[in-house]
Amino acid sequence: MTQAEIKLCSLLLQEHFGEIVEKIGVHLIRTGSQPLRVIAHDTGTSLDQVKKALCVLIQHNLVIYQVHKRGVVEYEAQCSRVLRMLRYPRYIYTAKTLYSDTGELIVEELLLNGKMTMSAVVKKVADRLTETMEDGKTMDYAEVSNTFMRLADTHFVQRCPWVPATENSDPGPLPPAPILVISEKDMYLVPKLSLIGKGKRRRSSDEDATGEPKAKRSKHSTDNKEPIPDDGIYWQANLDRFHQHFRDQAIVSAVANRMDQFTFQTQTSSEIVRTMLRMSEITTPSAAPFTQPLSSNEIFRSLPVGYNISKQVLDQYLTLLADDPLEFVGKSGDSGGGMYVINLHKALGSLATATLESVVQERFGSRCARIFRLVLQKKHLEQKQVEDFAMIPAKEAKDMLYKMLSGNFISLQEIPKTPDHAPSRTFYLYTVNILSAARMLLHRCYKSIANLIERRQFETKENKRLLEKSQRVEAIIASMQATGAEEAQLQEIEEMITAPERQQLETLKRNVNKLDASEIQVDETIFLLESYIESTMKRQ
Amino acid sequence: MAGNKGRGRAAYTFNIEAVGFSRGEKLPDVVLKPPPLFPDTDYKPVPLKAGEGEDYMLALKQELRETMKRMPYYIETPEEKQDIERYSKRYMKVYKEEWIPDWRRLPREMMPRKKCKKGPKSEKAKDTSKGVSLTNTADVLKKIEELEKRGDGEKSDEENEEKEGGKEKSKEGDEEDDDDAAEQEEYDEEEQEEENDYINSYFEDGDDFGADSDDNMDEATY
Repeated sequence: MTQAEIKLCSLLLQEHFGEIVEKIGVHLIRTGSQPLRVIAHDTGTSLDQVKKALCVLIQHNLVIYQVHKRGVVEYEAQCSRVLRMLRYPRYIYTAKTLYSDTGELIVEELLLNGKMTMSAVVKKVADRLTETMEDGKTMDYAEVSNTFMRLADTHFVQRCPWVPATENSDPGPLPPAPILVISEKDMYLVPKLSLIGKGKRRRSSDEDATGEPKAKRSKHSTDNKEPIPDDGIYWQANLDRFHQHFRDQAIVSAVANRMDQFTFQTQTSSEIVRTMLRMSEITTPSAAPFTQPLSSNEIFRSLPVGYNISKQVLDQYLTLLADDPLEFVGKSGDSGGGMYVINLHKALGSLATATLESVVQERFGSRCARIFRLVLQKKHLEQKQVEDFAMIPAKEAKDMLYKMLSGNFISLQEIPKTPDHAPSRTFYLYTVNILSAARMLLHRCYKSIANLIERRQFETKENKRLLEKSQRVEAIIASMQATGAEEAQLQEIEEMITAPERQQLETLKRNVNKLDASEIQVDETIFLLESYIESTMKRQ
Repeated sequence: MAGNKGRGRAAYTFNIEAVGFSRGEKLPDVVLKPPPLFPDTDYKPVPLKAGEGEDYMLALKQELRETMKRMPYYIETPEEKQDIERYSKRYMKVYKEEWIPDWRRLPREMMPRKKCKKGPKSEKAKDTSKGVSLTNTADVLKKIEELEKRGDGEKSDEENEEKEGGKEKSKEGDEEDDDDAAEQEEYDEEEQEEENDYINSYFEDGDDFGADSDDNMDEATY
């Protein structure tokens, strides 16, 4: 794990779980797999604290344990999973766009708690939704359960590995840690529960119009003692499925940007690609380099209902997409009107390359970007050739090439003419190695986010006193409004915050918003680069 | 064979043309320090994406940050005692829900151990033994302490149990037993240390010196 990643993990853990968990987590990330006592000894924290921290980390799927020989249990941290915490808002927002508020809250609860049983999720989400509804209305458990089942069917939530049910005849000593099993076919199996009930408001349910508040209240207090029907079956959010969705979104918008500007009928090509991706969602594993071949007839049948394009037009579009130099869509056969695949690996490669080009352009200027694209296209070029092809004067071209070289976007390839590698008789060619440039950029992204988080924390700490004061004033105003105060009194309280202080608060809010928004966007770049690197490594 | 071709004149070992400089041209200055920490950029960054989705995600992010701090998973660092105890602090405490993990899914060593001394029964139960005791120095030290205590006689019954439990450790109970044994040992030692300044038994069990003072622990042994 690089230093940048470790630093970022440390900041994320500290923000979300506090310093003790951060200390343990970072120690595990740095040193790898370790048993409990060694962790306590090396970090200098008490055993009790270490246990608590590890429980929290295991609950959130950030640390896994393994039993080694002699009964020693070792704990290992998953650094990449810690970095996913940056992407939580994106997961929740995606769930909202696909399954509306109910889905959004389900995914949010699962992400905040790591793992939960289905009944617990349904109850909590129903309560939260009821809070936001108008007085007298409540959210039914059945509706929430339905949404949960739909999420499970489309693989957005999955079951956690579970403890196998052992026969009780075995009286031997218990193992030091349960071995959790998981089977592919059971991973999305929703237990048959009959969850009956409605959400409850947090305040007294006396105003509840249903007329059974007392009965509900007493049942609620005994709820904790009732056996939970799906005890032991825990669910977690399936991040890989979300990633697959993001990848599909990226490909569709890339096609839309490229092809749909020039057609009259907006977004036809992107719709076609979207349909193809949707059809391949379940059939193609997420790491595959290309989707299963789909025939043109199948695609025609699966187009969304509103689209009235004729078969010939569809065929024309498909041919156009297949001939495009970007090679997102490829033709793999002629049966069934033409078999087409989507080249996932190539698509990710193009997206990563586009990111690199854009970074070069924004950092060094458009002439540098021209040189960069030139070297990308021609693969290997000599200094002289670069000047000629790019039509840029020698001095400037040289300067730009060296700037990019020192930024590690471009590298030099030596080709010796003689076996003694004499420099005067060696070719030096400029080339772009996309994989290593992508890795360099990814590393830089991690550093950027760490810087953004630190700056945000600094800004907040600087103005801590002012923030606390404004919170107190707001609390006072809220309580006064609740008890019905006059306008004049409210005015007076509001004036406790002076105008320059208000100004300062405004500036602080604007800065913090900007920093937060930047974090979210850098994370999008991280996603693209990581997907590309992962896809490339899998193919090797 | 190498020899200075130009007799002391500077000459490049490689073809300078290939890298792009023409002969006789002034080469750029050598950089003698690391690049500046906050360099001036010629090109200002592009403005951030703005839109409904981005705004929603921003609000979500800030809300999540606040929510996480109130969840039971956020473990507060124990604060140092302040010099003056503020009255308002009592009323500003945020009451968090207690979270109990599902112990069936976690290794057995995760369960918090109670500090009370265990009765002899439970010690015996742990004696099912397969154990291979681990050879780390902590264990050896504890064994020595236990042997010392045994020599002193007081509470010998329980300590015998503990020792048994300590020696024949079952595989999984290793850390737990150590913990208990350590806590109880420390407790005993502190109690005894308060009474006198000297180490209780300087000699190991079996020596003639120590044997005499077995009965009376209060006196220091030399």
